[in-house]
Amino acid sequence: MELRLQNLSKRYGTKYAVDDVNVCLTPGVYGLLGANGAGKTTLMRMICGVLKPTSGMIRLNGKKIEALGEQYYEHLGYMPQDFGFYPDFTAREFMLYMAAVKGLSKNKAKKRTDALLHMVNLSDVADKKIKSFSGGMKQRLGIAQAELNSPSILILDEPTAGLDPKERVRFRNLISDFAKEKIVILSTHIVSDVSYIADTILMMKDGRFILQEPMATVTDGIEGKVWELFADERTAEEYSRRFAVVNLHHENNNSVRLRIVSDTAPSADAKTVLPSLEDLFLYHFGEDAQVEGSEN
Amino acid sequence: MLVKYEFLKILRKKSTIVVMLVSLLMTAVFFALPIIQYQTYNQDGVLRGIEGIKYDKEQYERISVLLTNEYVTETIEEVKQLFENPDNVGYDGQEQFLVDDAYWNDIAYRESLLNMIATNFAEPNVTVGYNNLLSADTSDGADFYQARQDKIESIVNEPSRELSETAKEYWLHMNSKVETPLQYGYFEGWEVIISCFELLIFPLLAICIILCPVFSGEYQAGTDAVVLSSKYGKTKLTTAKTIASLLFGLLAFTLHIIAAFAIPLAAYGVDGWNLPLQINGTAVPYPFTFLEGTLINLGVIYLVLIAMIGLTLFLSSKMKTPYFVLIVVIPVLFIPMFLSPNGTAGIYNLIVFLTPYQSLTPNFAQYITYQFGSVILDSFTMNAVVYAILALILLPLAGIGFKKRQVG
Repeated sequence: MELRLQNLSKRYGTKYAVDDVNVCLTPGVYGLLGANGAGKTTLMRMICGVLKPTSGMIRLNGKKIEALGEQYYEHLGYMPQDFGFYPDFTAREFMLYMAAVKGLSKNKAKKRTDALLHMVNLSDVADKKIKSFSGGMKQRLGIAQAELNSPSILILDEPTAGLDPKERVRFRNLISDFAKEKIVILSTHIVSDVSYIADTILMMKDGRFILQEPMATVTDGIEGKVWELFADERTAEEYSRRFAVVNLHHENNNSVRLRIVSDTAPSADAKTVLPSLEDLFLYHFGEDAQVEGSEN
Repeated sequence: MLVKYEFLKILRKKSTIVVMLVSLLMTAVFFALPIIQYQTYNQDGVLRGIEGIKYDKEQYERISVLLTNEYVTETIEEVKQLFENPDNVGYDGQEQFLVDDAYWNDIAYRESLLNMIATNFAEPNVTVGYNNLLSADTSDGADFYQARQDKIESIVNEPSRELSETAKEYWLHMNSKVETPLQYGYFEGWEVIISCFELLIFPLLAICIILCPVFSGEYQAGTDAVVLSSKYGKTKLTTAKTIASLLFGLLAFTLHIIAAFAIPLAAYGVDGWNLPLQINGTAVPYPFTFLEGTLINLGVIYLVLIAMIGLTLFLSSKMKTPYFVLIVVIPVLFIPMFLSPNGTAGIYNLIVFLTPYQSLTPNFAQYITYQFGSVILDSFTMNAVVYAILALILLPLAGIGFKKRQVG
């Protein structure tokens, strides 16, 4: 299976939300990283066929998705960012409804619904109305519906947003379970989520891919550019203004331990450390970045 | 399966239940009002509600007759004779009328029949009372049906109607199918139904309100992205939504119709269903019974309903929230209530008669004519054609609007 995005662009007025994106996706988990407004959601909507590109095309195994029509959507599972539910439906009714929209037979719909609700730990509340669900329960139901048709392309847009750390861990494990032999695109601005489960990192900035690298080597490019140093509180503030500070930790002896991403050493006593995905994120996005990875 | 779920989605909403209950209650009250407010008189005083209806119905048993010219002549003579005795006659400064026993014993029980006969002999578009029978010429026997024919010819030849020769011929030909002599009898229940048809605008609005979120509700809730990226999201789902909406609309409206019709028919009885419309106005050219006239108008109303569902769904597929849909639908339904036709000819009037509100009201005696070359359409046919076309255009457009939805 091969999903190819060719010269894909989406323009709103004079602004490009997605600008000439080219990528060929084969089975694996792709972590789509970018600051808010980088174009991740727009790109995912185009891949899901719910937003028409201004130019360019998407091909599945060489065929345009528009031409494939229902055949393409058969392969697709989508969990959009902040997607709504029918509050008066129970979880089971919602799953059965989505199964019907996805074209599953009555028997299969029932089986998949039971299995998936069990998998996402919602069996006990399957017959309760969705309006009584917490945010985490709704997110779990969201991924369950995306999995109903056993899609070979699974698109998850900010699936962990708003979840507490425990829910996020559970969610990551779920995604890993679902990801086998699929193209999974996981968009997030929470770096730690993808660092655990992504095989490849796609980084977007201003509508363009600025990086497409396997997870194993993604930080190679910033080796020697991540520094750790100690400073007093006043100097630490100064560093915060001048450099991209990934982490700042107050030590017991009134000193502050700083982790800084910079092409050059911020001070003579700064030591290089092994870079992480968060460092990479901050390196590229600087002040635009909204790193939320410290919970893990 | 999808239709079932879409139907369930409509039905499950609290707002659906509330709007339906309010609308049903309003319809029941509107159609019960003529019964509650009904009053008739006898020598002992006023009789109200069911008691009054029962009394009047009994009186009608005496006048369930075939209106032959002989019967009409005899009746007119009887009235004239009553007026010959000065003790029977009152005068209010403008006109004479019968009083005391002459009125209560010989007129009261058949006053509506006498008024109808008197109006038949009067000028077109004028309603008169039984006292006008004094001026009816019965020297060679009254020709009730010739008078009716003359009247209809006068109506179609009125210059203000601007009818072409083809149109005149159309109406006269239609009128020639009216079977005579007319059978007279009790038809109060059907009269109430026919006169209250316009009140069905409220159930129509209620159904549109309920259906506003069918497509736009998905956009508002943020479920559009999920359903549109599913296998049948852009194909069978749109059809299912349309079918479920139509199904709901038709069932809900039928429920209102049952309530609306059952109340007057339970109070007045179904009597008169097979009587000709002409006994409620002899200028009516349609050769229908009350039941036929009611069903034909009801058929047109159902087409209006389907077209309005089409409009609601179309707007729903195009607008971001159900509130925007309502902002358009409510004026479409209600502004025409304030547009009064000032005749039956001219573009303005012909358009006003096509508006949803006016289309609910049966215009049996107004000779509203739409002419396209040599083709003549009366208001029922024209309304049926217009709303059928609108439905055929708007329903598919609603589906297309949803399919083309760009989630952004």
